[in-house]
Amino acid sequence: MFSNLFKGKRHIKLGIYGPPNSGKTTIANRICKDWLGEEMGSVSAVPHETREVNIKEKITVKHKGKDITFNLIDTPGIATRIDFEDFLKYGLSEKEAKKRAKEATKGVIDAIKWLDDMDCVIAVLDSTLNPYNQVNITIVGNLAARDIPVLICANKIDKKKSNIKKIEAAFPQYEVIPISALKGTNMEEFYESLIRVLK
Amino acid sequence: MPHQCVRCGNMYEDASKEILKGCNCGGKFFFFIKKESMQQMQEITSQLTEDDKKQMEQDAFELIGEEETEKPVVLDLESIRMLKPGKFEIDLVDLFKGAPLVYKLDEGRYIIDVATTFKSLSKKK
Repeated sequence: MFSNLFKGKRHIKLGIYGPPNSGKTTIANRICKDWLGEEMGSVSAVPHETREVNIKEKITVKHKGKDITFNLIDTPGIATRIDFEDFLKYGLSEKEAKKRAKEATKGVIDAIKWLDDMDCVIAVLDSTLNPYNQVNITIVGNLAARDIPVLICANKIDKKKSNIKKIEAAFPQYEVIPISALKGTNMEEFYESLIRVLK
Repeated sequence: MPHQCVRCGNMYEDASKEILKGCNCGGKFFFFIKKESMQQMQEITSQLTEDDKKQMEQDAFELIGEEETEKPVVLDLESIRMLKPGKFEIDLVDLFKGAPLVYKLDEGRYIIDVATTFKSLSKKK
């Protein structure tokens, strides 16, 4: 049925990018749960849980009489340093931690390779952390250089240390949507902005 | 008016890109020096120990209410440096530019991902 509905129509590719542990997969899961009724991937407190690009096809978001259909692409966290010792404190064995580090490095390369295919990107930043770092600035700067529309999500606003103003100050030329993907806070505004950016 | 990096003592002219981007040594704080007091200033900074310089940087970060951010990763000709098994440094700027994947294993030992490089070249055509 769906193949007929969307015959000949190329779906928008919406990428989710950001540093590790900013909540990319939590947002992907939230979108999938809201509109498809199922989750997309596993989440973990250990950084670099997503080490492969994951795709969920044909998601239709409806808000205030408007709707948009896209393919959602959840990408591994982009980092400049990956150190297996960071994973040891989460109880991983040295062998597991080294394997995770290698896969995470490959994940960074893959995430960047996919960028040119994206029609629009949700940049997910952890609002409890300082946004002024090489990873955030490189991601947002490269999206701007490629003219890819960006929606910046200041995630984890349910946490005490969350500072939305700091993210807005760091990227004044972009629309910043504060959300808690985990709790589902402010998702209405998120979907409204998403439809506006994608249309 | 010149500016001097508080960490390494390098001098930069007004509007140098290093003043915005940070010094080549990674330092981000500069003394603003009037020409007449330049020599005097150079003498003072040359007497500062490494610990003094670090402390001054720390104080400055505290004054502006910023935690020191991680040093950016800028690699040489390699895009990925393998420091030891499970420890990697990635030059994101190179990767975003689509530069060939060059892994540095050790001083003078590199692996170049030729297949991916050719694939990306033919894609660009």
